[in-house]
Amino acid sequence: MSSKQDIFNALKSAAITPQAMPCIDIAPRIDDLVGQFEASLNTVAGTLHRDGGLSALQTTVDEHIAKGMQIISMVDGIIGNREVSDTAHELKDIDYAVIPGDLGIAENGAIWVNNKSLGHRVTPFICENLLLVIEAKSIVANMHQAAKLMTLAPGEFGTYIAGPSKTADIEQALVVGAHGACSLNVYLT
Amino acid sequence: MSTSKSNVHAHKAEIFCKDESRVDWHSKALWMLREKRDRAAGSLPEWEQLRQIGSEMKLHTLTHLTEYLEEFEKNCTANNIKVHWAKDGAEHNKIVHQILAKHQVKKVVKSKSMLTEECHMNPYLEDRGIEVIDTDLGERIIQLAKMPPSHIVVPAIHMKKEEVGDLFHEKLGTDAGASDPLYLTRAARRHLREQFLSADAAMTGVNMAVADKGAVVVCTNEGNADMGANLPKLQLHSMGIDKVVPDLDSAAVLLRTLARNATGQPITTYSSFYRGPQQGGEMHVIIVDNGRTEMLKDKILAESLKCIRCGGCLNTCPVYRRSGGYSYNYTIPGPIGIAVGAQNDDTNSIPWACTLCGSCSYVCPTKVPLDKIIHHHRRLKSEAGKLPYGKSSYMPLVGKFMASETALNCSMGIARTALKILPGSVLKPFSGAWGKYRELPVAPNSSFEAWFKKNRG
Repeated sequence: MSSKQDIFNALKSAAITPQAMPCIDIAPRIDDLVGQFEASLNTVAGTLHRDGGLSALQTTVDEHIAKGMQIISMVDGIIGNREVSDTAHELKDIDYAVIPGDLGIAENGAIWVNNKSLGHRVTPFICENLLLVIEAKSIVANMHQAAKLMTLAPGEFGTYIAGPSKTADIEQALVVGAHGACSLNVYLT
Repeated sequence: MSTSKSNVHAHKAEIFCKDESRVDWHSKALWMLREKRDRAAGSLPEWEQLRQIGSEMKLHTLTHLTEYLEEFEKNCTANNIKVHWAKDGAEHNKIVHQILAKHQVKKVVKSKSMLTEECHMNPYLEDRGIEVIDTDLGERIIQLAKMPPSHIVVPAIHMKKEEVGDLFHEKLGTDAGASDPLYLTRAARRHLREQFLSADAAMTGVNMAVADKGAVVVCTNEGNADMGANLPKLQLHSMGIDKVVPDLDSAAVLLRTLARNATGQPITTYSSFYRGPQQGGEMHVIIVDNGRTEMLKDKILAESLKCIRCGGCLNTCPVYRRSGGYSYNYTIPGPIGIAVGAQNDDTNSIPWACTLCGSCSYVCPTKVPLDKIIHHHRRLKSEAGKLPYGKSSYMPLVGKFMASETALNCSMGIARTALKILPGSVLKPFSGAWGKYRELPVAPNSSFEAWFKKNRG
């Protein structure tokens, strides 16, 4: 007999009586979504740039390029100095990655990013610093609303990113920048 | 009782408690997490509603596991994900090894998975010539120190930064005497980046398995799961049968409570959904039982499978905070460790590593009735004739004694008189371990019964 069948047979002797699925109906807090998002983003060590949109971002990118930084852009209209490489491993020296986010979540500052706009799946993790771009109108109140809007087709990968990579594994001291990006700046359009 | 080689919880805790200042420090570090958790929970008006929904949703899936696991497998297969089933840890390890061997994997980067710890996978693979690198910083620290985790979320919480500094100096070549967490973390970042870039395969645990999508959700703060899984072409994910949830909205409920209850963050930094392998890659999911169906056969123990491994119960537990993770004889310590591990505890002492204060149940984001489960374990041990050393000799007598009104009243009378006329030094030995750190009580003038008859009767 297969192990799957063994497990399923064992499940027949489960003791708890079947329970119904609860209704998930939680009222969203919809006042000042951008303000809520900004406050949440700050608590997860990210920074929001409300004004200037893509042109402010391009100015920042140009400044970084002038300093000799390696920048890959996956956002239309933003020009970096690196292209998507053949292998993911070649991205190891990227200083900044510019990536479009699909949704911003006001309650926790997370941003939903889908692999369709990443080139390689590892892009937002392997870069030293991350620049995300989201539309102000894509900010939703909470995770329940995000669950209804997030795109994740068969075969895809997507991730909620809430701030830069961090750890507190050494004596509970918060250190920003563990394995993923060491900083996160979000540009609003 | 003196410190001995015994594995009984009290003895192992005694070793930890030898260094009183470290115990205070350990307790305070964990209480800080509890306070952060309280602030995060308090800032959400719907917190209690989320706990209730989380609890009901987990109970719903646990009572419909066959359907959801079937649906999950079907959708995974449609998404080009290969699904495997393992009855126990041994079978899990064998499956993992077969996949890795087929791809001639020499090095695998692993991100935190309590399940692979539960299955003792690392030594199994290492014996077969495969290098396993734990990539969560805390996990890497204890792997380098050759220790097991002492906490399920912050595995190296018992170590001081100076000890990590010494360890990194020896293993990673950092400066001697350096103990700055930022400096040490950066050194680990460089070291682990090399590992990610040179690994042949990646392995992660699973926080949630979404049935209707055929996707697994992996949460980390460091991004180690994603640096791992998205670089090599081969990715493996191990999950217990209890990790399945019906859909994205139910996963959202747990994502809202998991990090808030673990560390007080509004959500983990990365909550990643894998619904298929990367282009040209391979993705495997191994679904493991390892005692879970057995637990489901007991109505009370079954509820421990609602747990989402946030570690909140450890942080609040007064016993865990003062006895350390290594005193529990199980990979998972603290209240949830007792709930899921007590059955395999040879010393039969673990269910007594608890004051039944109920704080764990109170903070649990899915309302696992931990104190009730731990109490139930005591009953199970007793019914199986497996009371721990000491308790088996006197507990049955205490039971008989307490059941007899005459015996109880008579001896309590003697005790009151003795407390009044005999010096403490004579009486203390009779109080055993209880009296070790306590003063004897002041005896009341009469029994409560006598007082009640006189005043209210």
